[in-house]
Amino acid sequence: MKVRLQALAVLSSALFALVFLGAEKPRPRVEPIKARIGVISIITGQGAGYGEAITNGIRLARDEVNARGEVYIDLKIEDSSGKQEQALSAAQKLIHSEQVVAIIGPTLSNEMKVVGPEANASGVPIMGTSTTAKGITQIGKYVFRNALPESQAIPASIGMAVKKYNLRQVALLYGNDDVFTKSGFDTMKEVSENRKLRILTVQEFQKGQADYKAQLTKIASLRPDAVFCSALYEEGAVILSQARKMGIKVPFVGGNGFNSPKVIEIARDAADGLIVATPWFVDRNDPKVKAFVAKYEKAYGKKPDQFAAQAYDAFHIVANALKAAGAADRDRLRDALAATKDFDGVLGKFSFDAERDVVMEPNVLIVQGGKFRVFQ
Amino acid sequence: MEWINPYHLQVASFVLINVILGTSIYVTLSTGQLSLGNAGFMSIGAYAAALLATKYALPIPVGVAAGALLAGAAGALVGIPSLRLSGVYLAIATLGFGEVIRAVAINWESLTGGAVGIAAIPQMGRVVLAGARDLGFSPASLGLKPNQFISLTVFLILLVAAVLTVAFFLRLGRSRVGRAYAAIRLDERAAEASGIPVTYYKVLAFSQGAMVSGLAGALYAHATSFISPADFTYHRAVEILVFAVFGGSGHILGPAFGAAFLTVVPEALRAISHYRYILYGVLVVLVVIYRPQGVIDPPLLRRMRGDRAAEAA
Repeated sequence: MKVRLQALAVLSSALFALVFLGAEKPRPRVEPIKARIGVISIITGQGAGYGEAITNGIRLARDEVNARGEVYIDLKIEDSSGKQEQALSAAQKLIHSEQVVAIIGPTLSNEMKVVGPEANASGVPIMGTSTTAKGITQIGKYVFRNALPESQAIPASIGMAVKKYNLRQVALLYGNDDVFTKSGFDTMKEVSENRKLRILTVQEFQKGQADYKAQLTKIASLRPDAVFCSALYEEGAVILSQARKMGIKVPFVGGNGFNSPKVIEIARDAADGLIVATPWFVDRNDPKVKAFVAKYEKAYGKKPDQFAAQAYDAFHIVANALKAAGAADRDRLRDALAATKDFDGVLGKFSFDAERDVVMEPNVLIVQGGKFRVFQ
Repeated sequence: MEWINPYHLQVASFVLINVILGTSIYVTLSTGQLSLGNAGFMSIGAYAAALLATKYALPIPVGVAAGALLAGAAGALVGIPSLRLSGVYLAIATLGFGEVIRAVAINWESLTGGAVGIAAIPQMGRVVLAGARDLGFSPASLGLKPNQFISLTVFLILLVAAVLTVAFFLRLGRSRVGRAYAAIRLDERAAEASGIPVTYYKVLAFSQGAMVSGLAGALYAHATSFISPADFTYHRAVEILVFAVFGGSGHILGPAFGAAFLTVVPEALRAISHYRYILYGVLVVLVVIYRPQGVIDPPLLRRMRGDRAAEAA
């Protein structure tokens, strides 16, 4: 019994000592702001490749942010399968069951058009990282994006190409059954008209088409100075390869959909002379980009693409806004997000405009010798 | 009222829309015709309702009714020539019809907005809430938050629509028309020989199915507030067919069960994210192997009612 009492005394004094010692020392840092953030992405089905890149980028950013200790973020990743109904159910789950403070995603503009109004009505900030179509952030004051819309990327690439090659007459070619390529084409047409370029012809194709000879024959016969082509890389690479074989040697100006290493992989030499404007350039000479690429490569065994980079930056933007807001509160986070200015990420300097849309300088790249290079 | 979770209501709403779609394929199947055009009819209903609401600001019920009727009329128009076909040929023809409708939606840009689709379609829950507020009603008086009220309204409207649709066809099954359908399904020639106007009933079933698809499409447009041609692809047509294959096409409750089950399963399996659709596929394959007639068939229903005498008879 005595031994026990002694032991108890020793133990309790030790405990006291610990408590007092602890109290004497000033705490090294304040308790981090804890928040739960939802992600809606395509994990299964067609387009799961985008979802993989996006969630990889976000996880990498989450680990960095949590390690810093100022904010602690709990991620909830939900699958949309690229379908609007699934995206909407996922959003409802995140908003009402998981009580997230903000949502990153969904992946497609179509999904955002369904999810955006719901998040907006529920007062949950939502940020698209790959939704480039028109009218996304106009859905409401809780809807943001850091995906460079085609309406900003394409004028940049066309502008540079016109200056460099002194373009006068052009041919337009686009996929008419996809929101992304269609809205890219609308911008191309508008920019061409504004710049007083003569549009020789407008040719259309559909997703998954394998033979573009009909369209390309027409284009070749009109001898344009350049071809403006709004396509995703799957079709775009094939178009390039067939165009070069048919003797169309003029530059191709593409939208963001062309901005994939896969274009060069598929079209090889034919990709030379392709000009794209993109928010993301993997070989940019910037220590931040190099560090990100190295870290990403180490974690996932491949280089980050544009989707990973945009998601990575988006997460950091939200985390910074959370820090500025000072609490995991949806409305305060929204205001802090809207105030984001000159955020220095891997995509370069980033701000939101008054409509919560993107303000940034796109990189204009050209394919030369089988590699994307800065177009000058 | 915390237990009213908009997420659960959202899933339930999609279940109900899919139940209506399941019913639409059941109706055509009940005369033994395999139609893959239901996604096309659905898009006619959805586009009609969406355009009437956005361009002409007509009230939602008018647009929904017009969408359903237009789809039904299109069903009759397509049905008359194509019902000379049967089996696989009919399936291919209706599949082609669905793709034609989609191509029209993509290319008729001035009307449909092309691939970009139609956004900002009035959502029925929000419209009801706005109307209720004008009358001085506040959801808070029921202890509901606005978004709970919106989701609940959508759910209740869809519930009424789904129950009425299923009830209508349950009743139809016991009527003269239903008997004629069953006779045609069992043996077309025998039915014809007994004096049943086969073509008339086949076209009727086809356009009824189209009308129900159109109704589902119109409700879908007003539930999600955005539609585009990508919603009504071949995949949608197959998804609708799977409701019937999985649930069973011998009784109207079969496709309804298939629709409900196959909508809830991927949601319930969110926890295993990557694998959920694998499990979905496995379930469908297992049913096709072990219960080729579908999970629910008339003998099962009779057993469930405990009516063994009827089964023996």
